[in-house]
Amino acid sequence: MSKELEAHYGLPNQVKFCKKCVISNQRPSSTIEFKNEKGEKKKVINFNEDGVCSACVYHDEKETGIDWEDRDVKLRSLLDQFRSNDGSYDVIVPGSGGKDSAFIAHILKYKYGMNPLTVTWAPHLYTDIGWKNMQEWMHTGGLDNILYTPNGILHQEMTKNAFHNLLHPFQPFIVGQRIIGPAMAKKFGVKLVMYGENQAEYGNSIEENTNPIMNMDFFSSDDALSMKFGGVSMQEYIDTGKYTKDDFAPYIAPDKQDLVDNGIEVHYLGYYLKWDPQECYYYSVDNTGFQANPVRTEGTYSKYSSIDDKVDPFHYLTTLIKFGIGRCTYDAAQEVRNDKITREEASYLVEKYDTEFPDIYFKEFLEYIDTSEDDFWRTVDKHRSPHIWKKVDEVWKLRHTSSNTGTDD
Amino acid sequence: MNKIRVVARIDVKNEFAIKGIHLEGLRKVGNPNTMARNYYNDGIDEIVFMDAVAAYYDRNSLSELIQEACKGVFIPITVGGGIRTIDDIKNALKSGADKVAINTKAVKDPNFIMQSSKIFGSQCIVSSIEAKLIKNGKWEVYTDNGREPTGKDVIEWAKHVGELGAGEIMLTSIDKEGTKKGFDIDLYKSVAKSVSIPIIASGGMGQGADAVELLENADIDAIATASVLHCKMESVQEIKNTLLQHQIKVRI
Amino acid sequence: MKIAIIDYGIGNIRSILSAFENQGANVFLTSDKGEILKSDGLVLPGVGAFSHGMKNLESYGLVDVIKEYAALDRPLMGICLGMQLLFEESEEFGKTEGLGLILGKVVKLPTKDNQNENLPHVSWNKLNSNKVPWKNTILADTEEGSDMYFVHSFVAQPRDSYNILSLTEYLNYHFCSSVKKGNIYGCQFHPEKSGPTGLKIINNFIRMCEA
Repeated sequence: MSKELEAHYGLPNQVKFCKKCVISNQRPSSTIEFKNEKGEKKKVINFNEDGVCSACVYHDEKETGIDWEDRDVKLRSLLDQFRSNDGSYDVIVPGSGGKDSAFIAHILKYKYGMNPLTVTWAPHLYTDIGWKNMQEWMHTGGLDNILYTPNGILHQEMTKNAFHNLLHPFQPFIVGQRIIGPAMAKKFGVKLVMYGENQAEYGNSIEENTNPIMNMDFFSSDDALSMKFGGVSMQEYIDTGKYTKDDFAPYIAPDKQDLVDNGIEVHYLGYYLKWDPQECYYYSVDNTGFQANPVRTEGTYSKYSSIDDKVDPFHYLTTLIKFGIGRCTYDAAQEVRNDKITREEASYLVEKYDTEFPDIYFKEFLEYIDTSEDDFWRTVDKHRSPHIWKKVDEVWKLRHTSSNTGTDD
Repeated sequence: MNKIRVVARIDVKNEFAIKGIHLEGLRKVGNPNTMARNYYNDGIDEIVFMDAVAAYYDRNSLSELIQEACKGVFIPITVGGGIRTIDDIKNALKSGADKVAINTKAVKDPNFIMQSSKIFGSQCIVSSIEAKLIKNGKWEVYTDNGREPTGKDVIEWAKHVGELGAGEIMLTSIDKEGTKKGFDIDLYKSVAKSVSIPIIASGGMGQGADAVELLENADIDAIATASVLHCKMESVQEIKNTLLQHQIKVRI
Repeated sequence: MKIAIIDYGIGNIRSILSAFENQGANVFLTSDKGEILKSDGLVLPGVGAFSHGMKNLESYGLVDVIKEYAALDRPLMGICLGMQLLFEESEEFGKTEGLGLILGKVVKLPTKDNQNENLPHVSWNKLNSNKVPWKNTILADTEEGSDMYFVHSFVAQPRDSYNILSLTEYLNYHFCSSVKKGNIYGCQFHPEKSGPTGLKIINNFIRMCEA
């Protein structure tokens, strides 16, 4: 009788891979990050009876089951409602000038005649290429931008806590990133916020994708003090005496009722346009001076995705540790769905790159989260779920991979 | 002065021709064999097929394509991407290629160029160099389809491959390729000054005028274009006419 | 009617086969003495070094066979290295003896001093006539000044100028780009790689084999 291995985070005990792409059933769905606490049980991507993940199912529907002309009509009618005629901003586009936000802002302005204000929640540590692309977004793309950089001392401490408590260093960043759109909308008197893709593209429940509007829970709260950052509540930070409520201004989610009263709506452009991340790359190169990473991004084969933050590679390292899914898996799964590569090719790439350690910015990251290398590995190893990892001759190996090369496959 | 050769570069992934930007992206643009025949019929001087994903999958898989292409394309064909062994070269030539383009393997093992040019002749061996601008006057050699920096200087490496026996250099600007914004003229100027073997300039052409500007400023022998042809921005004849109008000799 | 292409382990065989097939020839690859002597036309391809070419012909036992075939006065065409091998000797990598079917030797393309020369000669370049009219040769109906595809560093220098079928200029030097001696032809360029004009030349050769 086989012993069932313990699974952290309430993840499914049996690791399975989608028959169509290479994502595994351990992939967590989007969380309301400021409620994220230690040991929380994760909701994960759904697999149907044929072993196909919901992102692939959604993608098939995208290809055949959606009338995109109709969606375009809906988009135009939505934009008509919000378009200003007095030169004021009429849509907030949150983003960093990466391929997705570059595409969104540019197409809204130059194809659909809107007047977007792009707002950037600053990366922890800009990469050279990230900064360059951000600038090009403005200078070549012809767009307006507000770069919002939160208090670095607090942000660093939150990130450090997030790393150690949740093994999720990006958590505080995501809080800010989700809030900034609606928050800026309120400040500038703009009613429409446009994001890119709904996470159903990547495996949230499909029902979410029949709705163009983002769930308000992601960016608004009824009780600011209970918000958690790095698993630590705002109240607890204040209790240390180092911070006051003032310091949390960037993170305080807008009040739900307030947003409703102001008529603020947050939409996904991915509902209205057939979303293809690689095509966003091409568009942004042609129109906003975007450049791919000069070198292959660590942990994957690609050069065009998520290249602006030196902390980014560590986000993917932690998804690898917690869920067995690294950056390459995410990239490859997306490209399989969008018909750029086959599943076999994806599997091969994942095998080749997924577990590559992000060396380039490691020292800087350790400094940023004020952690020694030993402590880094202690925390990382603590979070390895026994049902995903096995130690073989002092080396950690995955029990299961999409190409069946895991220790238990 | 030789006639300038106008070369069509077709990047291939499996059965599709693709076109990226900065050697990134797999956007499909057509059937590589059909495209090659069309360009041949339109008067292109040469075809280069590059296996764009050989580096990812540690394979090379263009032999079937070359065999097919040979049946309808009677101009020189170069094949590159994943050429790693003497057998790879043998198979490529047996399939109908006239030349092979070698990058990654040569950087890792420069002797491979010497070896292969001795066995097959220099005229068969094209050194494919991917160049990324570091700062004014300095470019770095990249491998694996524009993914891995090597720390090598492009000009030094170009000189070296000539000494090793390469017959030609196909020099691709990673910064410009796919952008259709013109060639990196300084790159070609600098390299052409330092080598005596023919250079094919690849990367950045958006229109015939770009080729004119390059040819008037750098001593190169051939221009390769992809986007202009694949995206049907200009025809082969239109490109050649532009060159002729500027007193640049081409095969009519 | 069958045209044999000599298989001696070098040369871009497939392109030549494709080109001949495209022009309607019944063509096959062989290194068999009997088949070669029976064929109506013979093609000697080749790329690369002269010495390597001769070594291979020797090891395949083809040197005498080709000479025997040539004596039958049936059409024979050497392409690129194949043309060079028709001559008496080459100075590439020291002196090497050739087939000696045409008088003359093979030398490196003369380069001028103090110039940044580009060798090999890789280029489309013009065929110009010499003293021999092109009518009734493989260059029949080829326009004067037609561009052909060249890739070589060495050239043949026929002793008898009446063997020179065409001249081509490279860096102010006029070299012999094709030869004719009776029914023996040589093309320094690659007719199978020179587009429709090259295919026409192949077609002419095929017609000769049919006659």
